[in-house]
Amino acid sequence: MTAVIADNLPAFVIIVPLFAGVVLPVFARRQRLVEGLVVLAEAAGLAGVGFLAYIVFTHRGTDWVYQMGGWPAPWGIELTVNSLAVFFLFAVMAVSLPIALFTMGNLKDEVGSNKRTARFYTLFLLLVGSLAGMALANDLFNTYVLVEVATLSCCGLVSSRGTPRAAEAAFTYLVLATLASSLVVIGIGFIYVTTGHLNMGFASQGLAQAWQDRPHVVWLAISFVLVGFGLKSALFPLHVWLPDAHSSAPSPASAVLSGLAVKGYMICLLKFLYVVFGPALMKEFSVDRILVLAGMAAIICGAVMALPQDDLKRRLAFSTVSQVGYIYLGFGLMDENGLAGALFYLASHAAIKSTLFLSAGAMIASAGKKKISEMAGIGRKMPLTAAAFTAASLGLIGIPMFSGFIGKWYLIAGSLDTGDFLPTVIIIAGSVLCAAYLFPVIRAMWFETPQKAKQESTVQQECKTAVQHAAEHMPAGPGVPREVRVKDPGAAQKLALILLTAVIFVLGVVPGPFIELARSAAAELLMLR
Amino acid sequence: MPYSADALKIYLVLGLSSGAAGGLAVMLIPGARRRLRNMITLLFAASGAVFSWLTALSVFAGKGTRIGFVSGDLEWSLDPDPLGAVFGLIASTLWMFATVYSFGYMAEKSGQRVYYSFFLFSLSAAVGVAFAGNLVTLYLFYELLTLATYPLVIHERTPEAAAAGTKYIMYNLSGAGAILIAIIITYRYAGDPGFTGGPVLAGVNSPMLGWLLVMYIVGFGVKAALMPLHRWLPAAMVAPTPVSALLHAVAVVYAGVFGVIRVVYSVFGRGLAGQLGISRVLPWVAASTILAGVIVALRQDVLKRRLAYQTVSHLSYILLGAFTLQPWGLAGAMMQMITYPFMKMTLFFCAGIIARQTGETRISRMGGVGRKLPWTMAAFTAAALGMTGMLPLSTFWGKYYLMKGSVAGGMWPFALVLAASGLINAACFIPVVVQAFRGDKTPSCKEKGGSMALMFAPAAALVVIALVTGLVPGIVWPGAEAVTDWFFG
Repeated sequence: MTAVIADNLPAFVIIVPLFAGVVLPVFARRQRLVEGLVVLAEAAGLAGVGFLAYIVFTHRGTDWVYQMGGWPAPWGIELTVNSLAVFFLFAVMAVSLPIALFTMGNLKDEVGSNKRTARFYTLFLLLVGSLAGMALANDLFNTYVLVEVATLSCCGLVSSRGTPRAAEAAFTYLVLATLASSLVVIGIGFIYVTTGHLNMGFASQGLAQAWQDRPHVVWLAISFVLVGFGLKSALFPLHVWLPDAHSSAPSPASAVLSGLAVKGYMICLLKFLYVVFGPALMKEFSVDRILVLAGMAAIICGAVMALPQDDLKRRLAFSTVSQVGYIYLGFGLMDENGLAGALFYLASHAAIKSTLFLSAGAMIASAGKKKISEMAGIGRKMPLTAAAFTAASLGLIGIPMFSGFIGKWYLIAGSLDTGDFLPTVIIIAGSVLCAAYLFPVIRAMWFETPQKAKQESTVQQECKTAVQHAAEHMPAGPGVPREVRVKDPGAAQKLALILLTAVIFVLGVVPGPFIELARSAAAELLMLR
Repeated sequence: MPYSADALKIYLVLGLSSGAAGGLAVMLIPGARRRLRNMITLLFAASGAVFSWLTALSVFAGKGTRIGFVSGDLEWSLDPDPLGAVFGLIASTLWMFATVYSFGYMAEKSGQRVYYSFFLFSLSAAVGVAFAGNLVTLYLFYELLTLATYPLVIHERTPEAAAAGTKYIMYNLSGAGAILIAIIITYRYAGDPGFTGGPVLAGVNSPMLGWLLVMYIVGFGVKAALMPLHRWLPAAMVAPTPVSALLHAVAVVYAGVFGVIRVVYSVFGRGLAGQLGISRVLPWVAASTILAGVIVALRQDVLKRRLAYQTVSHLSYILLGAFTLQPWGLAGAMMQMITYPFMKMTLFFCAGIIARQTGETRISRMGGVGRKLPWTMAAFTAAALGMTGMLPLSTFWGKYYLMKGSVAGGMWPFALVLAASGLINAACFIPVVVQAFRGDKTPSCKEKGGSMALMFAPAAALVVIALVTGLVPGIVWPGAEAVTDWFFG
């Protein structure tokens, strides 16, 4: 049994979450069992990834190509276990496990009913499984299928609250994401037509030849793929759907959407560009310049748009637009340091943004207030949640000893390698703007006292006193709203926040192995080895 | 004194961590226990000072120690040298005075738990800046210092304080950003040899070095309030007076000045810095800040703002001395760095006493204050004379060596600038004293009470220290000498 699992580990990492997701609705009535199953599937995935990482570290330099069903390429389906795949898998599992943990016991409050919880978990696990697949798949069509699975799960997650606003956001997302999928599939079609292959390695070899014969088709393929995945992963200015979708979803869904789903598409784009088209073709068609420019615009514009948002989750969603820009900037630098920095930043942002959304969600749920201006003094009532939010904010700003700093360090080093000074300045400006939109939240949480009610007229006051008097002397019934005590969420939620904050710290304090993995992934992508 | 290697490491760690440990302890104590909290605050501030002293004295005795922690490609290391030892000494020592003053000044204010814990956190950050062994560690503590002092700036919780806090963060993070880019470029040129093994960039030859230096100076210049990067400093005066006195006249702004000196002498080295023409350009920037700062100070009516602009001016004394690249200039900078805070904190302490006892913050309305608060105004007068650089107050020696340095470097105009600045300083503060004793308005207040004693004692002690060190400058001279020997020996 162990041998079977060990031999087929890459497939298991994908199949376990997918299978668990499909089986879950059977037990929909038994809430505890469902939650246990989700966390179990996540833990199994994380363990599997840990073992894969061990393999990659011990057999450095050689990829483990796993053939599904034992069929060799170009006919069979391949899964490649390399540094990039393991790095992203680690990010997915290490972040989605705490998110799953966070949903234990309180998801019903977020999404409405037990029926919806089971649906949520199914979609969540399908998303995690497809993200794992995106990391491993070495095949264009399977990548597309996994992207579709992820897209539809995301759509369901956005609308899982069932409010009109969520439905609208989900619909916008569905339309744009489907458009993006069709662009991607057209791009894949062009590649298939010119090369006759769907396996990434073979397609890549074919494209090198096809580029000589039919450059226009290759150009069309690369632009369709770029726009398609760009739209899915909110590449500026294709980010319009993101703020609505990510802010109207339930908080755990926002965390997984902003933290992981967007990153999955980015990894797909990265593989398409670097593995299929190859660095030479990217330079030929100036894709690197486009990515750098779009990344820089995203960093600044996303942050500037985040500044005036008073709705906390919208502010965080716009922050995602800005932060995604850093990763694209790094993708476009075509440099080992820059690419390693972008990958590290991707993992760091996954942990940080999930922490931010989860803690924000806990605060919103507990206090019943969405706006930053209404959150004054909440840090004293929910110290742990607010502390997690603060730590994640400092990480996002890029304070040393937090994960964001290491990512920015390598991004800056990478942009200096290319000799272009502008990206460096933009990276720093983005950090300062990040402080500008996150510090007011921190200040409101910890250092402001809740505002007293506005001056009311005497009549109103008298009425109010009368009502209060009546309320005090009447038994608490359904008609009289009880005072809700604002406090930290339950033990599972606390544990989830602590785990995520620990990830941020570990990445910041002992980045050694992670940056090494990211760097070897970057070297593989740039074909330096 | 026991100078075994292990003991030195322990002193260093304790000197660094006392503040952080104290801050955590204070945060965990319930708000009601004021006495207990004050005792703990003082205890940890004192422990920070004692261990910083032990570390600094061992460094002066030529026995350094080093603690490092490798994380990935970076190394975090503590490795004090004489320059760091001087800064660590000043910061941690003056912290105790400001802490005692806080006990009086903050006695009836709200939010004391947050105040004291972050006051202690920033002690750790300042000591960390002082003892940092390489650029990235310096950057770490420099950022932490900004973050730890932010809650102190916005302590009053008014919209004005919030705006000042935002300004504070924006200015300081932008400066830190410039420093970060510069540090990464430095690492690419020279790797990470640390501060104690000669200049980091020695032997590097690149046309970018000039820009690199500009980036460092602009970055650290924000905290050092080098004009025109000084605007956050007057805004930050909304903070409670002990914070203004300690952090925004000494510790935080000194971190910037310290950073500049560190960059010029430890990163570039005086050889390379001389080639880049530092001594031709930057002393003029410093000199214009000296004059402009104090002239703007003249026009301020709010006493704390006047003091803030005067801080801007005085910080550039230190920078001027460092930029001359002369041994006497650096010695002057060190003497100024050591002696100036005594007098400046006294001024702030007195301004705080006046504001708290009479409610007056504007100089024009301080008539008759001297009659009601004679002792306070006496201390204020002494400190005002100190600002002009008059014997027997210790600030004379800083100015003396600065002048000596500029003349020795063939830059006599700067000696004139210093002299002129002394005169304008007199014009700044003497009228305040005259006004206080002559005015006919007599606000109702008393120079009595428990908190008054707590506020006045540190001010008086600082005046006494300034007098003693002014008469016997040999007490503080070894510090300046150690730094000068270290960089010029």
